[in-house]
Amino acid sequence: MLASAPAWAEGDAGRGERVFQQCFSCHSVEPGEAGLQGPNLRGIAGSPIAARPDFEYSDALLEFARHEGTWDDALLDRYIADPAAVVPGTRMHYVGLKDAGRRADVIAYLKGARQLRE
Amino acid sequence: MRLRWLPALCLSLILPGLAHAQSPGKAATQVYPVTPGSGPHDVAPAPDGKVWYTAQRQGALGILDPATGAVRQVPLGPDSAPHGVIQGPDAAAWITDGGQNAIVRYDPRTDQVKVWKLPEETGYVNLNTATFDGAGLYWFTGQNGFYGRLDPKTGDMKVWKAPRGRGAYGITTAPDGSVYYVSLAGSHLARIDRDTGQATVIEPLTPKQGARRVWPDSRGDLWISEWNSGQLSRHSPASGVWKSWRLPGAHPQSYAVYVDDNDMVWVTDFGANATLSFEPRTEAWASYPGTAADANVRQILGRPGEVWLPESGTDKLVVIRTGAGPS
Repeated sequence: MLASAPAWAEGDAGRGERVFQQCFSCHSVEPGEAGLQGPNLRGIAGSPIAARPDFEYSDALLEFARHEGTWDDALLDRYIADPAAVVPGTRMHYVGLKDAGRRADVIAYLKGARQLRE
Repeated sequence: MRLRWLPALCLSLILPGLAHAQSPGKAATQVYPVTPGSGPHDVAPAPDGKVWYTAQRQGALGILDPATGAVRQVPLGPDSAPHGVIQGPDAAAWITDGGQNAIVRYDPRTDQVKVWKLPEETGYVNLNTATFDGAGLYWFTGQNGFYGRLDPKTGDMKVWKAPRGRGAYGITTAPDGSVYYVSLAGSHLARIDRDTGQATVIEPLTPKQGARRVWPDSRGDLWISEWNSGQLSRHSPASGVWKSWRLPGAHPQSYAVYVDDNDMVWVTDFGANATLSFEPRTEAWASYPGTAADANVRQILGRPGEVWLPESGTDKLVVIRTGAGPS
């Protein structure tokens, strides 16, 4: 008997670009764009947590990075669902995205953004 | 020779706040716990003595009765995540609901909730804050780079792209009925022509200051909280003159600003976890600490004699009782 794939494995990057509008006011995926309230998310999937040199992360996220290490798909999914629950004290003021399918879509978009725009 | 004076003059406009230490605030405060987990974002005094707040994390409008401390919540709809609330000229609560990408009206007389979705072609704008102009029209900002207008009588809604893209945040109406908003990502003030809808950028004194919110005083001068620079700034539309004061803390981050009925300026500082009052005539600061760490007061509003602070990080509303208000 095969276990079903997690929802985040089946996301649609096209739909995810529209979901990303919820993130757009504070985050960019454009190369080199910095200075917003949140870090640039280009290439975030699979990358070390809180590691961009052009952004000043909260103490809470830096501590989180010390024991979690890398943004894998499952961790991104949990964080987007409820940032304050996963990283208490995070400065990211976002209530979270309840819909697992839409989370999968935006993760697919973040994973594909590098290829889509280069 | 005259040019050599210019840098010194600019510094003199920015530095005076450094010379003034802050003192503990002396006005009485009262703390009201609200629903755990609600994350009260914005607050607005209601016409019946109660106080409204946006329970952003629970998709509801919160209603506090300060006389008893009782709270209740009114659900605003599926996917609701309300950001701003103000009282309209119709004595109803008007809410910018980022979760629903809609403007929401709550009528306290009937308990009815009415929702105006933004046009489908606009897409998600991340609704932020709103104000009524002098003619009863409702103007709002969307942090993704939009501002718009709703006519409550007809339901007609128009949405415009903000100049310079993302960042449109706090919005306010000056005593003459003019509407201004500030841009956090765009670091500017803008004035909206209410006839054409066109927004005109007004450059700040400090580049990249990260303007969060804006509020007028009784003379029509505009007070602006600057997140990136940690300053409180004043712009006079009549003269075009700016003046800035750095908040007294070590690493100030100015978030909310409000001017009360006595022209006292109130500003919150995330860096100090405190709300500060600023007396423009004496340039004196007084501090009211948050009730706990990371109180995170993101907006301030009041009525004569009362300044209300929603602590989004502690699920509490705090009132500072400043006196009886103007005679």
